[in-house]
Amino acid sequence: MFSVVNPMKLHYAYQVLQMSTVKEQLIEKLIEDDKNSQCKITIVGTGAVGMACAISILLKDLADELALVDVASDKLKGEMMDLQHGSLFFSTSKITSGKDYSVSANSRIVIVTAGARQQEGETRLDLVQRNVTIMKSIIPAIVHYSPDCKILVVSNPDSARFRYLIGEKLGVHSTSCHGWIIGEHGDSSVPLWSGVNVAGVALKTLDPKLGTDSDKEHWENIHKQVIQSAYEIIKLKGYTSWAIGLSVMDLVGSILKNLRRVHPVSTMVKGLYGIKEEIFLSIPCVLGRNGVSDVVKINLNSEEEALFKKSAETLWNIQKDLVF
Amino acid sequence: MSWTVPLVRASQRVSSVGANFLCLKMALCPRQAARIPLKGAWRFTSVSKMATVKSELIERFTSEEPVHHSKVSIIGTGSVGMACAISILLKGLIDELALVDLDEGKLKGETMDLQHGSSFTKMPNIVCSKDYFVTANSNLVIITAGARQEKGETRLNLVQRNVALFKLMISNIVQHSPHCKLIIVSNPVDILSYVAWKLSAFPKNRVIGSGCNLDTARFRFLIGQKLGIHSESCHGWILGEHGDSSVPVWSGVNIAGVPLKDLNSDIGTDKDPEQWKNVHEEVIATAYEIIKMKGYTSWAIGLSVADLTESILKNLRRTHPVSTIIKGLYGIDEEVFLSIPCILGENGITHLIKIKLTPEEEARLKKSAKTLWEIQKELKI
Repeated sequence: MFSVVNPMKLHYAYQVLQMSTVKEQLIEKLIEDDKNSQCKITIVGTGAVGMACAISILLKDLADELALVDVASDKLKGEMMDLQHGSLFFSTSKITSGKDYSVSANSRIVIVTAGARQQEGETRLDLVQRNVTIMKSIIPAIVHYSPDCKILVVSNPDSARFRYLIGEKLGVHSTSCHGWIIGEHGDSSVPLWSGVNVAGVALKTLDPKLGTDSDKEHWENIHKQVIQSAYEIIKLKGYTSWAIGLSVMDLVGSILKNLRRVHPVSTMVKGLYGIKEEIFLSIPCVLGRNGVSDVVKINLNSEEEALFKKSAETLWNIQKDLVF
Repeated sequence: MSWTVPLVRASQRVSSVGANFLCLKMALCPRQAARIPLKGAWRFTSVSKMATVKSELIERFTSEEPVHHSKVSIIGTGSVGMACAISILLKGLIDELALVDLDEGKLKGETMDLQHGSSFTKMPNIVCSKDYFVTANSNLVIITAGARQEKGETRLNLVQRNVALFKLMISNIVQHSPHCKLIIVSNPVDILSYVAWKLSAFPKNRVIGSGCNLDTARFRFLIGQKLGIHSESCHGWILGEHGDSSVPVWSGVNIAGVPLKDLNSDIGTDKDPEQWKNVHEEVIATAYEIIKMKGYTSWAIGLSVADLTESILKNLRRTHPVSTIIKGLYGIDEEVFLSIPCILGENGITHLIKIKLTPEEEARLKKSAKTLWEIQKELKI
C-alpha cells in the first residue's frame, strides 16, 4: 500500500509519528491545569530554622505550594531539590525557590526566618540593628507580592519549652500542662505562675509560693531554664531548629484552618496593660484565617504587670534608637 | 524523660526502683523521683514535709510499667539522622526514640531541641546517650553514622572509613536489641549492609539497606515532572547498586498500568528520540548536585527512611526497592547486597518479588555484584 504513496507524504507521516511523545500518547488533556494555589506558604531563609519549618509544614500537609527564598542561591536550590526529591512521601505538589520575591506571589502565609544568627553569648537584643537592615530588604518585597498575606516572624518557642519542662517535673505530657509565658520573648519574659494548671487545678493553689524565691521546690528555675535552653542548645549544636520549626507548624495550622486556638504570640500591645508605646509583646492571641483576630485579656497581678511593663520599656528603649 | 543513668542499666523497665519514696525517711529529692536528668546528681532531703506540688496534684494509680512497642534508635545525629528523626516523629510512628552519637554536645543539643517540640509531635520519650544501652529493646535501629560523602568522592571511596566504625556499632546494637531490624543508610550502603549483616550475624530478613529506595523516589519524581503527574501515580523501579551503577527497569515503568514501553519501544535506549534515559542519569547526577549546592542531602533520604520505618512498624507488607542479599538470584554467586523489590513487614524483609529483568539489566546487576565483591573480599571483618 505504501509503495504508491507520495514519498513526501510518507516522510510527513513518519515525522508526525516521530513527534508524538509518550506523554501525548498516554494522556489526553481535558482542561487546562489550574495553576492557582489555594494554600501557598513562602519561607524566607533556608537555614536550619527555615528548613525545619519547611519539613514540618510538608509532613503536616498544610500547603499545596511551598516557595523558598534566600540570598544564597546554591544553598537555596540544593534545599529545594532535596525537598522535591521527597515528593513521593508528602502531598505538597509544588515546591519552588528563587532569590527574587516574585516567587512568593500570592502566599497565604510568609514565614520570615532570615536574619543574623544569634551567636554564643550574644543576647537577642544585640542582634537587632543587624536584623533591621536585613528586614528592610525582605518585608517590602513580601508585601508587594502578597499584599493579603499573614507574616510570621520567627523566634524560639518559650511557652512550649515552659510546658515541656513543667511536664517533665510532673510526669505529665506537655499538652496537658497549661502555662503561659508572655511579654518579651527571651531574657525578660514573664511566666504567669497563677495560670499554670493541670486539668484546671492551678498549681499555685497547691503551693502558694510557686514561682517565688521562697518556693522550696524552686519552680522558678523552670522559667530560668526556658531562657537558658536556647543558649544551651546553641552552645551544644550550634543553633536551634526543630522546636521552632514545629511550633511554627502549629501556628500555621491554626491560621490556615481558621482554628481560632489561643497561642502566645507577639503582637502590637499599645493600649493594653497601660502600655503607650508601639511595641510587640507576646500575649495570648486568637489565631485564625485573618491572623491575630482577638486577644485574651488576662488578669495580671501587680508583680506580673510590672514585669510586663518593664519588658515594654526595655524594648522601647532599643526600638526608639533603631535606624530605619 | 531519659533513663540514662547506670542505675537503670540493670533493668530497662524499672521506674522508681520499686520504692515508694514518700515512705522513706531519707528520700531522694522528690523532683527527681520519676526522671533522672542526664548529668544529675542524687540529692537527699529530709522527709519531714515531703508534700510536693506533684504529690498534691497527682495520685499514682498503677505500678505497672509502660511497655514500649515501637522504639526506634537512630545512630548518628548528623543531617541524615536528624532528617530521619523529624520525619519519623512527624508521622507519629513511634513511642520512644533513642539517639546515639559520639559527639556528646551535638547529641544532647539535638535531643533537647526535639524534646522542646514534643507538644507538637505528641512524642515525649526522646532519650540519648553516647552509650548504647539507651537503645535497648529497639524494634528498629537505623544506622546513619558514617563519614560524609565528600564533593566528587564516589560512594565506594567511603568504604574503608566506615567499616571500622561499624565494628563498634553493630556489636553494641546487637547486645542491647538482639531482635531488632537494622536499616543501614550509611554509604556505600550495599557494602555496609553486607558488613552489618556479617558483624551482627542476624538472619538476612532483619538487615535492610536503604539501597535504591531513594533513587526510586527521585526517579518517580522526575518521571512525574516530565508527565505532569504526581510521583505517587508514576510507577517505576530502580534496582541494583545504589548510586552510579543503578539499573532503571524500563519495562516496569507505567502509569495506571500502561507501560511506557508499549508507547515507546525504544524507551531508555540510546535510540529513544525522547531520551528518557536522561531521567535515570539525572537521578544519579542530582545527588552530587545537591551535595555541591548545600553540602549534603538530608530531607529526601530522611523521608524515604521514614517510609520504610512505617512499613516495618505497621507490618504494612508494602513493596520497596531495598538492599538485601542477592546471592543465588539472577545468576549471582557472590555474597553481596543489591536492591530488588522486597516486601517489608514487622519481620523485616519477608518476601522478594521475582521481577523479570532483560538480559542487559541482569548483566548490569552481575557486574555490580562483581565490583562490590572485589571490594568486600579485601575487607577485614
